[in-house]
Amino acid sequence: MERKNFEISVIVPVYNSEKYLKQCLDSIVGQTFKDIEIICVNDGSTDSSSQILSEYASKDDRFVIINQENGGAGKARNTGLDASRGKYLSFLDSDDFFENTMLEKAYKKIEQDNSDFVVYNSDQYITDKDDYINLICCIRPTAIPPYSPFSYRQLTENVFKAFVGWAWDKLYRKSFVQEHKLYFQEQRTTNDMLFVFSALIVAKKISVVDEILAHQRRDADGSLSKTREKSWFCFFDALMALKDRIEKEGLTWELERDFVNYAVHFSLWNYNTLAKQTRPLLKEKLAGEWQEALGIKGKPEEYFYNKQEYHDFLDAVK
Amino acid sequence: MSKVSILIPIYNVESYLRECLDSVVNQKLKEIEIICINDGSTDSSLDIINEYAEKDSRFVVISGPNGGYGKAMNKGLDAATSEYIGIVEPDDYVPDNMFSDLYEIAIKNDLDFVKADFFRFTTTNGILEKKLEPLDKTGTHYNNVFDPSHTPEALYFTINTWCGIYRRDFIEKNHIRHHETPGASFQDNGFYFQTFIYGQRAMIVDTPYYMNRRDNPNSSVSNPNKIYTMNIEMDWVMDILKKDPEIWERFKYMYWWRKYQNYNFRFKVIDKSFKLDFLNRLCQEYKWAQMRGELDLNLFEPGQRNDLKKKIAQTDSAYSKTYFMVSWKIKQHIPQPVKDFIKKILWGNKNGKKKL
Repeated sequence: MERKNFEISVIVPVYNSEKYLKQCLDSIVGQTFKDIEIICVNDGSTDSSSQILSEYASKDDRFVIINQENGGAGKARNTGLDASRGKYLSFLDSDDFFENTMLEKAYKKIEQDNSDFVVYNSDQYITDKDDYINLICCIRPTAIPPYSPFSYRQLTENVFKAFVGWAWDKLYRKSFVQEHKLYFQEQRTTNDMLFVFSALIVAKKISVVDEILAHQRRDADGSLSKTREKSWFCFFDALMALKDRIEKEGLTWELERDFVNYAVHFSLWNYNTLAKQTRPLLKEKLAGEWQEALGIKGKPEEYFYNKQEYHDFLDAVK
Repeated sequence: MSKVSILIPIYNVESYLRECLDSVVNQKLKEIEIICINDGSTDSSLDIINEYAEKDSRFVVISGPNGGYGKAMNKGLDAATSEYIGIVEPDDYVPDNMFSDLYEIAIKNDLDFVKADFFRFTTTNGILEKKLEPLDKTGTHYNNVFDPSHTPEALYFTINTWCGIYRRDFIEKNHIRHHETPGASFQDNGFYFQTFIYGQRAMIVDTPYYMNRRDNPNSSVSNPNKIYTMNIEMDWVMDILKKDPEIWERFKYMYWWRKYQNYNFRFKVIDKSFKLDFLNRLCQEYKWAQMRGELDLNLFEPGQRNDLKKKIAQTDSAYSKTYFMVSWKIKQHIPQPVKDFIKKILWGNKNGKKKL
C-alpha cells in the first residue's frame, strides 16, 4: 500500500552529478532519522545519474524518482515540493553530503520549538585537497540570539547576512511553505535565494542548531557557480523579486535598509566571482539602471553598515 | 453594570491571600466585581477563594490548570464586565479608599486609565516598613490629563500595571491582552506598553494607595529556559510596536531605554553562570540598535549612558576583549571552560597559559 505521509521529505535535484551522487545518496540513506521519503528529481541528466538513481530506488522503497526535461534546479525543487508528502521539507544538493544525524537533530529542534524552519551549521569540503573549511557566514554568531525560537527582528546584524540564501542548510515546515506560497525561482542560477529570504522575513519562529551537519562541496566539476557567465544576470532578478516580496509583505519601511545593504554585498560578490570577460557587461548594468532599481543609488554613505564594502562596490562599478 | 472589576491572578499564595482579599472586600466602593483567577494552585489558595466567594456574591471564581500569569490575566480580562478594570496581586493589598478615589477621578476626567503612586513594603517580626514609590520621579506630570500615545517620555514612569484602573472599553477597543508565556515572566511589560501606546486620556496622581510586598528577596534564576524571559517579552512588545511604523518611530527610543533597565534588573537575579552570555546579548542588541539609529543615548542618565557607550564602542575584533573588561567584576564566577575559551580568543593558543 502506498504511504500518504512521512515526517520529512528530502528533495534532491539531480543533474549530471554521477561523480558525487553516490556519496550524497549514501549520506541520505544512512540518516539516523528513518521516517523520510527521498524525492530525486532527475533534471534531464545525460550521464549515468539516472542509472544510479534507479539502482538506489530498487534497494530502498523510500525513494521516489521523478524524471523531467532539463529545466534547472529551481524548477526541479518545485517539482519535488509539489510531489512531497512530508510534514517537513529538506532541500539537498546532489554534490554535497551530510552528517548522518543531520535530519534527526534538525527534526528534534523544529518539533521542540514548533518553528517554521530551523537552520543548522555547515562547512565546505574541498574535493581536491580532501579538506574541510569553516565559514563564519553560514550562521553569523554575532547576529543570532542565545534563545529560540526567534524572528528576523531579533537578528543583530543585517537580516540578509545572518544566514546564507541557500536552501540545503535548513529544514522547513511544509504547512509554513504552503501558507506563504514559497516557491523557487525557475532560473539557471540564484534560484533559491528568494525562497530562503522570503521564508526568513515571514517566519514567526526560527530556530538554530549550532552544529556542523552538512558539507558543501567546493570546486565540484560542472558546478553551476563555476559557469555563471551564462547566467550572470540571474542574481539581479532574484534581488528584484525579493524586493517585491518585501514590499508585498508591507515590510519595506523596516527592511529596505537591510535589503539595499545586502544588494551591495551580493552584487559585489557576483562581480568579484564572475569570469573576467563577462564583468564589463555586469559593470555597465550595475553602474546604471540596476543600481537605481535596487535602491543603492543616491543613498548617503551613513546608510551603509559596512563602509568598506560600499566603497569597494563604487570602485567596481566606476 | 458595576464600576470596577478587580482581577486577582492566584498561584500558591495561601499565606498572603486572606489579607489581600479582605482589603478588596472592604473597599468603600461597593459596586465592584472581584474576579479571582486560580492558576492551578497546589496549596489551599482555591479553598480560601471559595470560602470568600460563598459569603460575597460579588466574587467570580475562575479556576483552571496552571497556564502562566499572562493566560490567567487574559481569562480575567475576558470575564470582566465593569466599567473599569483594576489589578491586585494576591500577595499585596490595597487601602479601602483606593478604588473609590481612582474611579471618581477617572469618571470626572473621562480617562482611559489613571495610575497612582504606591508603597513597597516589608514585614519583619510584625513590624511594617513601607517606602513611597513615586510614579514620576521628576514630579512634573501629576494631576493633569495627558495623551500617552503621543507622550513617549511617559514610559519613564515606574513600570507596573496594578497601581491604577483602566477603562474596559479602552482595553477591548485596542485588544489589549497579556503575552501567554509560561510562569510569571515579565508579562506585565506587554500590557503596560500597550496601555501607553494606545491610551489617549490618562492621568497620574501623587496620592499613594497600593501596597506592594517586597518580602521575598529575588531568588536567583538558574533555569536556562527562564534566563531570557525578559527578552522574549520585549520581543513581543517590539512586534506590537512595529504593527504600526508610526508607533515604532515614536516609541523606539523609549523601547530601548526600557529594555536596558530590564537588562540591569534581570542581570542581578540570573545565575552567575549565565551572566556572560546575557551581557553579550545586551552588547549585540545595543550595537545594532545604535547602527540602525534606534538609540537615543541622551535619554539615559549619565552613568548608564557611559556604560552603554562603552559597550557599543567596541569594534568586532576588540569586542571579546573589551567585553571581558566590562564583566571584570564577575570574572571569579566564570566557569573554567568559559575562561579557557576567552583565553583562546584573547591570546590565541600559544599564550594560553596566561593567568586568568
